[in-house]
Order: sequence, then C-alpha cells, then structure tokens
Amino acid sequence: MNWKIVIVLLSFPLLMAGCGSKDNFIILSPSGEGQVGALEIETEKGSAVLDEEGKAIFIDDRKSVPSDPTAVNRAETQALFQDALRVHPLMPQSFLLYFKHNSDQLTEGSQKLIPYILEAVRKRDSRDISIVGHTDRQGEDGYNRILSMERAQVVYDILRAQNVKGEEMTILYHGEGNLLIPTADEVAEPRNRRVEVMVR
Amino acid sequence: MKKTAICCLALILLILLPLSALAEEKRVIGKVKGTRGSMVSILRDGKTKPAFPNDKIYQSDTILTGSDGAIGILLEDNTLISMGPIGRLAMDKFKFAPAKNEYELRLHMMHGTFVYQSGLLGKLAPHAVELDTPVGRISMLKETDFKAKFSE
Repeated sequence: MNWKIVIVLLSFPLLMAGCGSKDNFIILSPSGEGQVGALEIETEKGSAVLDEEGKAIFIDDRKSVPSDPTAVNRAETQALFQDALRVHPLMPQSFLLYFKHNSDQLTEGSQKLIPYILEAVRKRDSRDISIVGHTDRQGEDGYNRILSMERAQVVYDILRAQNVKGEEMTILYHGEGNLLIPTADEVAEPRNRRVEVMVR
Repeated sequence: MKKTAICCLALILLILLPLSALAEEKRVIGKVKGTRGSMVSILRDGKTKPAFPNDKIYQSDTILTGSDGAIGILLEDNTLISMGPIGRLAMDKFKFAPAKNEYELRLHMMHGTFVYQSGLLGKLAPHAVELDTPVGRISMLKETDFKAKFSE
C-alpha cells in the first residue's frame, strides 16, 4: 500500500471542501496570449472586480456582498472542472497559404503546411473548413477574381485528395477585394497572394 | 377611411411582429462540438431532445446536462463554452456582425460548472458580453477567459 496516495486521496475531499462549501464562484483563467482579463460581478448588495489570473471571487447568494479576490489552488480548480475541460473544444485554427506570382501554384513553404491543416482537421473532427482565395492588386480586377477562385480550388483539391470530405469544405474568393497588406492598385505584394483556410 | 387604414396597419403589424420574433429566435448561433455521458440535451420550443456533436444551436436554446453529462459548444464568433454535469445554460442572445458593428452575447448560467474561452466577440466588444447567474450579473471589462460554478 502506498501511503502517499492514501494521504492524497483522504485529503482530497478536505481540499475540495474549500471550494465545495462555496457553491458559487468565478475564477479568472490564464488566457492564451499572456494577457489577463477583467470582469465585474454585481449582486444586489455590491460589486467586485476580478482582474488577477488564478484568483476567484466567491458569492454566497444574490443578497450578499461578493468576496475579495482570493487565490485558489490550481490543481483543485482543474479537478473541479475536469468534466467540462474534457469536452472543451479546441479553438478554431486558421492557416495562410501563399502562391507564386500570377499562378495557382503554392510556394514551397506553404506546401509544407498541408500536413498541419490535416492534423488540425483530425484533432477537431472538423466538419467546417472554409477556404478563402485572395490575390494582390497587380492585374485586372476580374482576372484577379478568377485567379483567387482558382487558388481556393487548388487548396480544395489538395485537401480533397487527402480524404477531407467535399461537403465539409466551403470555398469563397475575394480577388483583390480583401487585402491582408493594403496597397495601391497594380502593386505586386506576395503576402496578398494567399488562401486562408479556417478549420473550425 | 383613415380608420380602415389604421386597422390595416395594425393587422399587418400583428402578422409581421410574430414573424420577425420567430426569425430572431431561429438564428443558428453555434454548434455542439463534443459531448460525454448519456444525459446531454437541448431544450427548444418546450421540447427536449438529445444533443450530439455537430448539432446546431439556436438563439434561446437551453442546454442541459445530467449527472454524468458534459458538453462543449463552439459559437459562430469562436467563443468556446463547456459545461460539466448537472448543468443548465440558456443561450439568451447572440449577435455577431462586425461589418455592422453589432455585437451581443448574453448567457444565463443557471447551474453547473462552466469553462468560458473568449472568441472574436469578446475581443472586439468585451462590453457586449453579459452573463446572468443565480448570484448576479457578470460583465466583461476586457477580453476574459474564466471558469465558474453556480448552484440554484
């Protein structure tokens, strides 16, 4: 018998009691981009601001004053929310694929991204993949619309060949109408020759 | 004559109002991404039906989980919400139209454990995010991710 495990198991309900007896609380999560959020909770008796990562505000009921922000145990929090966390969806992921000048051929660098797109589709079991084609402003407007469509179609065909189902993909194309890098007309800008793939 | 015109107008309004209310209600706002356990359901127009991955979620749906249930939801703006067992969450309002600068997210977290991860709406318009809870109103001061537990 491993006594360490027994002690952990025995102390667990006691640890949880810290939170468990408090029926209502809100905890600020660490956000992905290193920024800390801020929220305000308002009961009938007062309000409190929560703006420190890993801290919680406890509230007994509607007619009580919210607690001050209190540090909470991270492991305890994870345990309490594990059922929700297990089904918490992955954030949709977007990929930018670039094209050679006046061409529907992917650059070598962008060809290497295809496996990552397939991985993102698989991990999310995604049925919602949008493929949006764009061009730069060099060349005539109507020509660019068709080129952007052809670029989106090329990406569709690549994914289709990798067994992504057609009905799970949507194609859109904007020609030079939705620039990533704003430029004057007739300016060649490689970063605008792109297809955005959004995997949701 | 004037009276008839007013009557006609009133009649037209009577017919159109419920229609527009209905259109508002029936907007798709997201979908179910994952479920666990057997007791996960969506309450819509007074009827409860089991929820499965990829099911559409409409504005004013209520999401329910039983003692072994959990559900993960993806909204149109990429807001992610998951809810653990014995939960009840009403999707009261959702509007995400950046082109028209229209944003609104109003959720009613009645009970359960919740994990909330902000999407584009919370990034572009944090003040448009409001949560009703059994203990009071929660509003965002900036883009915020949080976890919360509420009991009735």
